Amino acid sequence: MATQIITADQTDTLALSHVNVPPAQTWNYLRINDIAFDVPTPHFVGDVYARLPQLFGKLECGIGDEAVSWMEHASGDARYVEVRASEPQTVYVDIDSSKTEVHDTGVLVRAGASATIVTCAHGEQGGTSSSLLRVIAERDARVSIVEIVACGEGQQHLDAIGIEAAEGARIEMRQYALGGAKVALGLCCNLAGASSRFVLDTRYLAVGSDVLDVNHVVRQRGRSTRADIVTTGILADAARKTMRETIDLIHGAKFAEGSEIETVLVTGDDVVNKTLPVILCDEEDVAGNHGASIGAISPEQLDFMRSRGLSEDEAERLFVRAMFDDAVIHANGAETRTAVLNRAETVLGADVARDMAEVLGFDTEEA
Amino acid sequence: MSDQLLIIAGLSAGTEDKPILHNIDLTVGAGETHVLMGPNGAGKSTLGHVIMGDPIYQVTDGTITFDGQDVTDLGADKRSLAGIFLSYQAPVEVPGVPLYSFLRTICQMRPELKTTARKFRERVGKIADQLDIDQNFLTRELNVGFSGGEKKKIEMLQLLLLRPKLAILDETDSGLDVDALSIVSRGIEAYRKECDGALLMITHNTRILERLTVDRTHVMVHGNLVADGPASLIDDIDAHGFARFEDALAEKAEA
Ligand SMILES: Nc1ncnc2c1ncn2[C@@H]1O[C@H](COP(=O)(O)OP(=O)(O)OP(=O)(O)O)[C@@H](O)[C@H]1O
Ligand SMILES: [Mg+2]
Repeated sequence: MATQIITADQTDTLALSHVNVPPAQTWNYLRINDIAFDVPTPHFVGDVYARLPQLFGKLECGIGDEAVSWMEHASGDARYVEVRASEPQTVYVDIDSSKTEVHDTGVLVRAGASATIVTCAHGEQGGTSSSLLRVIAERDARVSIVEIVACGEGQQHLDAIGIEAAEGARIEMRQYALGGAKVALGLCCNLAGASSRFVLDTRYLAVGSDVLDVNHVVRQRGRSTRADIVTTGILADAARKTMRETIDLIHGAKFAEGSEIETVLVTGDDVVNKTLPVILCDEEDVAGNHGASIGAISPEQLDFMRSRGLSEDEAERLFVRAMFDDAVIHANGAETRTAVLNRAETVLGADVARDMAEVLGFDTEEA
Repeated sequence: MSDQLLIIAGLSAGTEDKPILHNIDLTVGAGETHVLMGPNGAGKSTLGHVIMGDPIYQVTDGTITFDGQDVTDLGADKRSLAGIFLSYQAPVEVPGVPLYSFLRTICQMRPELKTTARKFRERVGKIADQLDIDQNFLTRELNVGFSGGEKKKIEMLQLLLLRPKLAILDETDSGLDVDALSIVSRGIEAYRKECDGALLMITHNTRILERLTVDRTHVMVHGNLVADGPASLIDDIDAHGFARFEDALAEKAEA
């Protein structure tokens, strides 16, 4: 399960220098090829506890081997869940960032089984937390993943997800990056089996001087596999975001289709917004698409919202609230909702957060 | 004429490079129901959007006065807050914004509608039932993936929620199946009764008018208002079309 890292003192840190390295590198001067993190050095008392079955060790996680190895060591222990077809399950991974928790979770979803996995990192202040989630979806399995990062001021968080999908497996994922001073999201989905499918809906909000660093990798190995990644983000103040999206259509993946699209609303004057969309293609009978639109709300949308009484500023504020509302709606669990609402309170104020909870009908809920 | 809600006087407007509306005069009294008819491309939707304050169109001459205030130079958001509502012929999709968030925000903007979250939920729930809208639409993203008919119903939901003084409904009936048409007609009737709001209905179809008492009918041809008359004018147009109005306009142009 989770282990609190005990560090001798603040200076006892380890440098992870190559986090979130994309499969295809670009010019170094663009400073988009990786990000470095200073993380607490793991200390061991006695032996390392139970490890996940070896299968999980082979999964690529997007965040990179260096970070994965640190997480494995820092967690000291791992949690293994097996989901059988006879018994659909929801797996919760709750990461308290204030306690610098590190989680290492492996979920094996057996053939034809259905699993929902919810990871939620949250906290008020300080510390470095992380979550490593590895999922193996066997033939025709159905997996729904909700990943929420709602950390607070001064917090670092590293979130890694590795997925392998066998024939006919379907992975649907919603990823919310709602806060944290320095956050890395690494993700790799290996569509190994024919007709396996990956749908990813990513939403991010970065405010203040937050740094958000994302690496999405999809390996399409099987025939007729499909991957659809839709990313919507808001960058305010002096937030810095790097987004790497790679769809790798591997030789033999005939009739595979992959698409990635990102829409970013930039509201701050000092925002740094970097995007590296890549389609790697080693097969002829495939289709890969990527698109990006950066800037403001589209003129049609803005005119429509103005005709209902909202100024441009109010429309932008609505988009921020809407991102939290949407996260609450899909949070799947009282604790997760509370984490999102707490973060909303920091960003939008207590009145708005309370209003969100009441309008959505979660105001009477106990986390 | 201070009892008039909307007074359009000598209005000409168009896009940057194309005049569309010519010297329009039109008044709508509080609580009245007006119908605007005319052939395709006559400029009906344009007039609706110009009244709303759509920045795509520029007013080159004339004024629009609403509720005693000259709104000709006001932005659409201000006009909306003043009580003008335009239901779009093609409502816009807004990914990332759940319907609930949108509705709550546009209501809280208005002092007369500001209320607790709980009362708001009740109101929305009631209106959604009235319009036969499934509650799970409220947590879906605004208009995203909604069918044409569903989008129209969501427009009606906003109309009933916002209780404007003037509602301009631009072909709200088009593309609706019979059941949806009767639900939407009942919604319009409810707006008339509950809010005592004025209506400017743009339509090609008389069925949507069956439940309403029409005070005045206007005919637009080539960007000109060429005739107005009582409700019976609608049946006349239904039977004989727009030809005589088009001919009359052509003669006037020659003279
Ligand atoms: N934004 C625009 N840019 C260019 N032309 C426009 C624009 N809006 C309207 N027009 C033109 O102005 C004329 C009037 O269009 P409008 O949509 O107002 O007609 P309408 O009476 O609503 O027709 P319909 O019954 O088909 O809906 C048309 O010729 C149309 O092509
Ligand atoms: Mg029209």
